[in-house]
Formats: sequence, C-alpha cells, structure tokens
Amino acid sequence: MDAADCELFTEALRKAVQHGVSLDDVGWYDALADDREVAVATLFELQGEHNATSTALDAVVADAAGLPSGRILLPALDSAHAPATITGGRVRVRGICRGGLDSTVIAATNDGYVSLQVSDLQLRPVGGMDPRLELVAITGAVHGAVPEPAGWTAGVAAGQLALAHELVGTSRAMLRLAREHALDREQFGRPIASFQAVRHKLAEAHVAVESAKSAADAAWHDPAFAAVAKAVAGRSARTVARHAQQVLAGIGFTTEHPLHRYIRRALVLDGLFGSSRTLTSEIGAQALRTRHLPRPIPL
Amino acid sequence: MQLDAFRRELDGWLDEHAAELARDASDGDGLDADMAQLAKVKQMTFDAGWMRWGWPQRVGGLGGSPLLRGYLGEALTARDLVEPGTYSMTEVLAPTMIDYARPELAAEMVPRLLRGEEMWCQGFSEPGTGSNLAALSCRAVRADDGWRVTGQKVWTSFAQFAQRCVLLARTGAPDSAHRGITALFVDMDAPGITVRPIETMHGRLEFCEVFFDDVLVPVERMLGEEGQGWSVAMDLLPYERSTSLWHRGAFLQQRLQHLLTDVADDSLSAAELGDVVVQLFALRARSRATQHRLAAGERLGPETSVDKVLLATTEQSLFDLVASAVADDVLTGDDAAGARWRSDYLYSRAATIYGGSAEIQRNVLARRVLDLGPES
Ligand SMILES: Cc1cc2nc3c(=O)[nH]c(=O)nc-3n(C[C@H](O)[C@H](O)[C@H](O)COP(=O)(O)OP(=O)(O)OC[C@H]3O[C@@H](n4cnc5c(N)ncnc54)[C@H](O)[C@@H]3O)c2cc1C
Repeated sequence: MDAADCELFTEALRKAVQHGVSLDDVGWYDALADDREVAVATLFELQGEHNATSTALDAVVADAAGLPSGRILLPALDSAHAPATITGGRVRVRGICRGGLDSTVIAATNDGYVSLQVSDLQLRPVGGMDPRLELVAITGAVHGAVPEPAGWTAGVAAGQLALAHELVGTSRAMLRLAREHALDREQFGRPIASFQAVRHKLAEAHVAVESAKSAADAAWHDPAFAAVAKAVAGRSARTVARHAQQVLAGIGFTTEHPLHRYIRRALVLDGLFGSSRTLTSEIGAQALRTRHLPRPIPL
Repeated sequence: MQLDAFRRELDGWLDEHAAELARDASDGDGLDADMAQLAKVKQMTFDAGWMRWGWPQRVGGLGGSPLLRGYLGEALTARDLVEPGTYSMTEVLAPTMIDYARPELAAEMVPRLLRGEEMWCQGFSEPGTGSNLAALSCRAVRADDGWRVTGQKVWTSFAQFAQRCVLLARTGAPDSAHRGITALFVDMDAPGITVRPIETMHGRLEFCEVFFDDVLVPVERMLGEEGQGWSVAMDLLPYERSTSLWHRGAFLQQRLQHLLTDVADDSLSAAELGDVVVQLFALRARSRATQHRLAAGERLGPETSVDKVLLATTEQSLFDLVASAVADDVLTGDDAAGARWRSDYLYSRAATIYGGSAEIQRNVLARRVLDLGPES
C-alpha cells in the first residue's frame, strides 16, 4: 500500500473499530493477505486506541501458524505454550478465546492442531480485570482427535507482535487522556500542565509510547524479535499507565473517566502470549544459555 | 552504493585488514592511544573510500545515503576499533559545517576531519551556562580584521587534541539571549587561546577549560550569519542524537556481549540481563527509525530527545548490571579489564548530563513535542 492508500484504509478501519462494523466489510482480511504488516499494525493499534476488541487475533495467529480459519484457542494467561497437548490419543486443552465462540475451536499443539467441538469442553466466561475484553477460558480433555500439521512457533510470534501493536495503541490513548487533562485542569490558578513534575511524567510516558512503537515496527524484520517487542510494549504500557493515573489523579480513579478501561486492557493484554516480566526473563535465560545476545536489529 | 552492498564489502575489507586496523598494544590504553587509534582508522577507511560514503561530494565525499555512515560507525564500534565518544565528534560537527560554513571553508576543512588529520571540538558550555545555553557570555566583538573573542568555555571535550573549535559566542547585547549568539569556526592554535585539561571521574583528561583572550577570528570563519548561532546549535544537537547515537547503541551491544562472554555463570540473573536486552532493543529500534528518517531527507528536531532519553537510561541500566555482575573488577580490579569496566561504568553516569541533561530532554519533549505550553 502507498501512503494515500494507507490513510484511506486507516480511516475506514477506524470507523469499523469505533462502530463495531465487521472487519470483512472494510476489507481487513484481504489486507491481511496482501500486506500483513500494514493490516496488523493498523488494526491492532486502533483497537488499542479505542479500547475495542475483535476476533482478528485468531486470523493473525492462524495465518502465521498455518491453521484453518475459525475460532482459535489462544494460550492460557502468561504463557506462549501451545494450548493443546496430546498424550496417548487424549487431547488436553487449556487456553483462552477472545470474543464470541463458534461451535468448534481450533487448538494448536507444538507441531499440529486439532479441531474440537466446543460442547465437549468446559467454558468459563472471564470477567476479571477487563470484562469488556470478552475472554472465555476453556479447558478440557477429548479422546480420539487426530492432529493435522501446523507451526505453532510462527503463530506465537505473530500473536505477540499483534498484541505489541495493540498495547502501543492502548498506551497512546492513556497518554492522550492524561495530556488533555493536564491542559484542562487548573490548580493554584494555572493548568497543571505547567508544573514540571507533571510535564516530566508526560514526557516519560511519551518516551515509553515511542519506544514501544519503534520496537514493534522493527520486529517485522524477523519473527525472532516478536517476543522482545511484546516485552517492550508491556513494560511501556505499565509505565504509561502509572504516569497517566498519577496525572489524572482523582478523576482518573473513577469509572466516570475512561482511563480505567485502558489500564485494565493494558494489564490483561500484557498477560496474553507471555507478560513482559515472563518474556524478559526468558530472553535473559536464553542469552545466558547460549552466551550470545539476540542478533541486533540491522540498520 | 546500496546499504546491503556496502555492508558486505565493508565487512570483507575489515576482515581482510583486521591486523592493520587493530589497536597497537604498545600505545597503551589511555586517551592518547584512543586518539592515535582513531586517526589511524579514519585515515585507512578514508583512503579506502569507506569513510567518504554518505557525505556530499563537495566536501570530499562520494555521496550516497547517510545510512552508509551509520553502518560504518556501527561496524567499527562493534569490532572495538574506535571508541564511539571520540568518533562522534565527526558525526556531530561535519554536518554542521556542511550546513552552515561557507562552501569553500567546508570543502577545505571537512575532509581533514573525515580523514583523521584533525580533531575538532565543540565550545558551547561555560562556567556560568550549562543547561541555560542561551545565557552564554563568551564575547565576540567585531573589529576591522574580524571577530575578537574573549571569554571562557568549559567541559570542552578533547580540546587539547583539537585543531579547530565550533564556538558559540555572544555578539549581541549581554541580555540578547538566544538572538545575540554567533557561531565561529576557530583555529585552536590562534594566539590568545589557552587550554587546560580537566581530569574526569572516569580517570581521563576527557575535557578542558578553554580561555580566549582577544583571539582574532576572521569574518569568513562565521558559521551562518551573525546572530544565527542558536540555530546552528539547535540543528547540531539532533545530529548528536542520530548517527552517533546509532553508533553508541552498537557500543552498548558490544559491551553487553563482552560481559556475557566474560562473566561467571552465577553472577547474572536472567531477569536482570533480560531487562537490559529488552531496553537495548527498544533503543536500537528507535535509533534505527531515526536513521531512516534522516536518510529520507527529513529534518530532525526535538523529537530526537526521545532517542537521547532512551540512550541515557539504557546505558546506565547496562552499566548498573555490569557493576553488580563484575563488582570485583569494577571496585578492586587494577588490571586492564578492571580498568576498562570501571571507566565505562563511571562514564555511563555522565549519559544523563552531557548533550543536554535528562531533565532538559524532558523539558524539550514537554514543550516542543507534547505541546504542553509554558512552564510555571
Ligand atoms: C562527559 C561530558 C562531556 C561534555 N562535553 C562537552 C563539550 O564537548 N562541549 C560543551 O560545550 N559541553 C560539554 N559538556 C557539558 C554539558 O553540556 C553540560 O554539563 C550540560 O549541558 C549540563 O550543564 P551543567 O553541567 O552546567 O549543569 P546545570 O545546567 O547547572 O544543571 C544542574 C542540574 O540542574 C538541572 N536543571 C538545570 N536547568 C533545569 C531546568 N530548566 N529544569 C529542570 N532541571 C534543570 C540539570 O538537569 C542538572 O541536573 C560535557 C559534559 C560532560 C559531563
């Protein structure tokens, strides 16, 4: 896509995300096939900015992992492990679905997948920290399912990168809310945006947003960078949340102000496909094991 | 020349000439040795053409994208052939000359800097003006034969090695603030200049006090117009935060890899190491994006303060990790390895001070990027 096409696409998607129009109607699935980076980065950042959700993560993971289209079982919270394991003809699943369910769900193993009837599994609609995310926790064990081949690792990288972009959008929204508040709110006869302590918090949040965005963009060079980009995004989102909440103070602590929704979203998105804390430790452990840093980003 | 071809060919050339390029151990490991090494590497890479890529032909370059300069410094730093602090003066001061010097002056002088025949320094800070640069008071008065400069600069890095100085002087009224500053390109051997090196905490004579006593600077040595010095300074700072920052990222990568290779198994925690790896990735991702904006012809501005904040934070986190992982070396080591870790650790403490302090970077972001209005 050239710059003009990108802009039109972004605006169409923004409307879809804001008003719950189907992604198919605005050509997002076609875009995913044509230009994966633009499709994923644009949609997930918008979803983050507007605190919206969809089942698009399924398509992203399925596309990369070679899974059929349909509802995909995502890994259980704070892990990137394949949600299904097979031992002696018995399939055990433990994972999460994002958005409404179909009659079947596709559950990946390390090197394949099985398609399961939802009615054979235990479902728990998740309220938790962020009920608006509409997660469903799924567990269960099924006999006799025969796996087809697929590549889970590629699905993990794709999922992590999409979520990194969604966290960037979420962080951007929190910074926007805090900035607007700082300019509007007056104390001691002037806008709180004039106080250096407030300004530096917002500057710090801006640095966090920008570093997460650069890391997510750079990770498109190599799927091996996806986990570290997700770690940057999760960590940045927590930084932005902390500063935004402090700047918004009392009003930001109420449900009358939208900030809380973004904070909730950031915390749960950080937990999907491995939290920044877990991923960071894994990245460090890997470097210690091999005695090599991950390959640097090429210029 | 495209980046991929440049990378391949340069890597081959560096492998081939590894022995000649390597530091001469008999030079020792002080600043003098670093300077000698820098001059040697610049001369060899200039004569072989590498150092000329990415610079305009009118200053002795071969043209091509600034990304080529980005890769050259990265490769030299990754191989530990140059120290990025001394190397950075080229990337900061040559673009300023190209943008603001008379074309003949730039054509005469820039090749000397690129080829390592000369070292240049940057005379901005004064005893009374660090962060508040616009209040500087070193005076230049117009005389028949040029500008006459009187005053003092301080913390001028490498001034004792420098043949030239990019100097900011007050040419307007004392209270003319940023409007009354002019940039001059000064010969350091001009009569009336005295340089006194200052020992830094990391054990080097890294910077100097420079005294100017009625020093004559010819009018042709003005950079830009009279009163344009503030723009010169503001345009120079983003260079400090683009190509040379990319090089410093490569340096941090190299030092962290070094730590990982050197250190005993149980002295690094996975979580702490991972944290630095993650920060370093974000820094280099951001710096890479800035390099590409520069290469696309975008004008860099206050948004590069993001890059500087990330650099300073990452550099300090990295050397905090060093200080705990190889505490013996850093605290009590008297051999070469100990001295180097200690020096690098201590120097990292300055990352939030030089080139605009951490607080000043945040002020810039708040005012000029986030548009938060004036401070109270
Ligand atoms: C290793 C090194 C190399 C250097 N090389 C050079 C060089 O080559 N050429 C050169 O010209 N200079 C050089 N400098 C000087 C450097 O640019 C100054 O040290 C820097 O700009 C800070 O000025 P200062 O030290 O006077 O601190 P001050 O300006 O006195 O600041 C002291 C403290 O107050 C804070 N502060 C000041 N103003 C504000 C404000 N408005 N809001 C919030 N906080 C504020 C600062 O952030 C800092 O923490 C170098 C410094 C170092 C450490």
